[in-house]
Amino acid sequence: MTDAADMNAAASTPMRDRLAAGLKRRHAREARFRWYGRLAIIAALAFLALLLGRIVSQGYHAFYTHTAAVPVYLDPARIDRSYPAGTNFEQLTAEQLLARWGVVDDAQGSKAKAMKSLFSSELKFRLAELVMKRPGLIGQTVPITTPFSDDADLYLKGEISRDVPSDQRRLTDQQLDWLDRLKAEGAVSARFNKALFLNGDSTEPELAGVLGAVVGSALMLLVTAVIAIPLGVGAAVYLEEFAPRNRLSELIEVNINNLAAVPSIVYGLLGLALFINWMHLPRASPLVGGLVLALMALPTLIIATRSSLKAVPPSIREAALAMGASRTQAVFGHVLPLAMPGVMTGAIISMAHALGETAPLLLIGMISFVPGVPMAIDQPAGALPSLIYIWENASERAFHERTAAAIMVLLAFMIVMNMAAIILRRRFERRW
Amino acid sequence: MKNTIHRAADGMEGGVAAASRVIAPVKIAARDVSVFYGEKQALFDVSLDIPDKTVTALIGPSGCGKSTFLRTMNRMNDTIPDARVTGRIEMDGQDVNDRSVDPVLLRAQVGMVFQRPNPFPKSIWENVAYGPKIHGLTSSKSELDDVVQSALKRAGLWDEVADRLQASATGLSGGQQQRLVIARAIAVNPEVILMDEPCSALDPIATARIEELIDELRERFCIVIVTHSMAQAARVSQRTAFFHMGRLIETGDTEEIFTNPRERRTLDYITGRFG
Repeated sequence: MTDAADMNAAASTPMRDRLAAGLKRRHAREARFRWYGRLAIIAALAFLALLLGRIVSQGYHAFYTHTAAVPVYLDPARIDRSYPAGTNFEQLTAEQLLARWGVVDDAQGSKAKAMKSLFSSELKFRLAELVMKRPGLIGQTVPITTPFSDDADLYLKGEISRDVPSDQRRLTDQQLDWLDRLKAEGAVSARFNKALFLNGDSTEPELAGVLGAVVGSALMLLVTAVIAIPLGVGAAVYLEEFAPRNRLSELIEVNINNLAAVPSIVYGLLGLALFINWMHLPRASPLVGGLVLALMALPTLIIATRSSLKAVPPSIREAALAMGASRTQAVFGHVLPLAMPGVMTGAIISMAHALGETAPLLLIGMISFVPGVPMAIDQPAGALPSLIYIWENASERAFHERTAAAIMVLLAFMIVMNMAAIILRRRFERRW
Repeated sequence: MKNTIHRAADGMEGGVAAASRVIAPVKIAARDVSVFYGEKQALFDVSLDIPDKTVTALIGPSGCGKSTFLRTMNRMNDTIPDARVTGRIEMDGQDVNDRSVDPVLLRAQVGMVFQRPNPFPKSIWENVAYGPKIHGLTSSKSELDDVVQSALKRAGLWDEVADRLQASATGLSGGQQQRLVIARAIAVNPEVILMDEPCSALDPIATARIEELIDELRERFCIVIVTHSMAQAARVSQRTAFFHMGRLIETGDTEEIFTNPRERRTLDYITGRFG
């Protein structure tokens, strides 16, 4: 009895040692792997923080802007009552300011010109509108609020420094003095940059806004969704649930997978050839953009839908069929509703992808400058990604901070869409 | 009836056994049924008579073809690509594989209960009402309510769920779910109920309840049950068919199969020597 126990102990000790040694190795490997994972996540978060931090630090200036409040004497001698819009209101304002400050202009009027360039051309439109609406004001002095020009605004935001030699900046020392004087008089106020959200694109940075591009993108996505979602889901349901399994359906499946990997610029070329050159749809319109993006989104959508249909347990399908449901009843009554969270996530992700797509838009003309806000899907329109591209390439410095702001708007748009995806998923998710 | 099954009238005691002594007409007659999955043959020339208002148990080791045979009776093999069925399966003299037979209609007459409870992820009421709804068996909501209630009562579930018909069916316990699925099947008033190992995912108490239920349902339906449990076959069935390697080895009254099998392989299987 004791002999046997001893033998057992003798036999098991080396075994245990080996096990213990191996166990140590295994634990070390696991700990190492955990650290790799943590490092990967830390690196990813650091890059994300860097990216967002850079965009926000570059772009937050674009969300506020400076306006000037100056009195203007609506001189009857300078305003043509029959055509008030033809009045050079900027000149009028600049001259009056100079006169008030006792600055004597030269023969060429270069000081008035320099003063004029501090204000946005919006000044002229506001005054013209005012006079046209209330002609009785002519001959009186009215206070008017106007945005500064982009360069003046940059100086007031502290982005143009006096220390820079004057030939390397766009404002002269004299202009900077005037801006300081306006500020000292309390005529300058900083406020939220409404123009950024309420205006379409403009060549003047202080008047340029993202609304046109946001509406353009939204219209385009609408077209994409209306075309791609029913078509993609329908195709996926047919392929997954009804199509016979044979060579042809295999070929189609392979092709769909390949199409999902086709670079988006190729879809742009296809759209150019098909929709613009052949079907003569209006160039640069959300309609064409949406059609191109729908083509691009279809393969991804079909793949996502098919995989979520596949994930529905076969027992549900069997249950419905065994109850005497027809194939269509089983699919549309049971399988598709259960696959719905996945289908919708796929749809929204592919829409978000389409929203950020730029390359195909270049080829169908959506990269051109489009002022104003599109009102229909067949009007020329911009899109958020192309607006970002245009602004980034603009020579005016004030556009750079607006580029970052437009990127923030695009990111916000995407975050909203992804949140919608999550909420819909939660809502439709059911257990089985 | 030209086809009847004459049972051995001896060696049986008790109510269940007494009932099984009744000579029952044949409900389903299978003749030389073979099933192929692609190149592979899963079932070889099975001929079997299944009597009405009786529980017939199909037993045999895993992969012996008993489930495959069960699924030929409501043409569920149609849903498997590459599956091919030959031979005749006659229900009340009509070949179910005939081109004139609509599988949708057939499955309204032949209900099925699966291995794992598979209620729809909807309310209890909707689960039971589903069949009558898709087949258009009722004309009003109140009529449908009555059908749901009586099906749940017959499945012995009514008392447990009467106050939460609108609750999700997936919230029920496994045994309750399986009884719900049975209620769902009998709500369309089928003639045959096929059960594919209905208790294999259940605990002993839930199993006992299902077995009681099967015994009650026998009075109205022709029931075919596939089971892995010898004891269950012995408890619930009156007829037993033993399958092995895709062939029907032996069939007869349950009492006889379990007490005095003719085939050596049957004896080995029921005594636990293989399978």
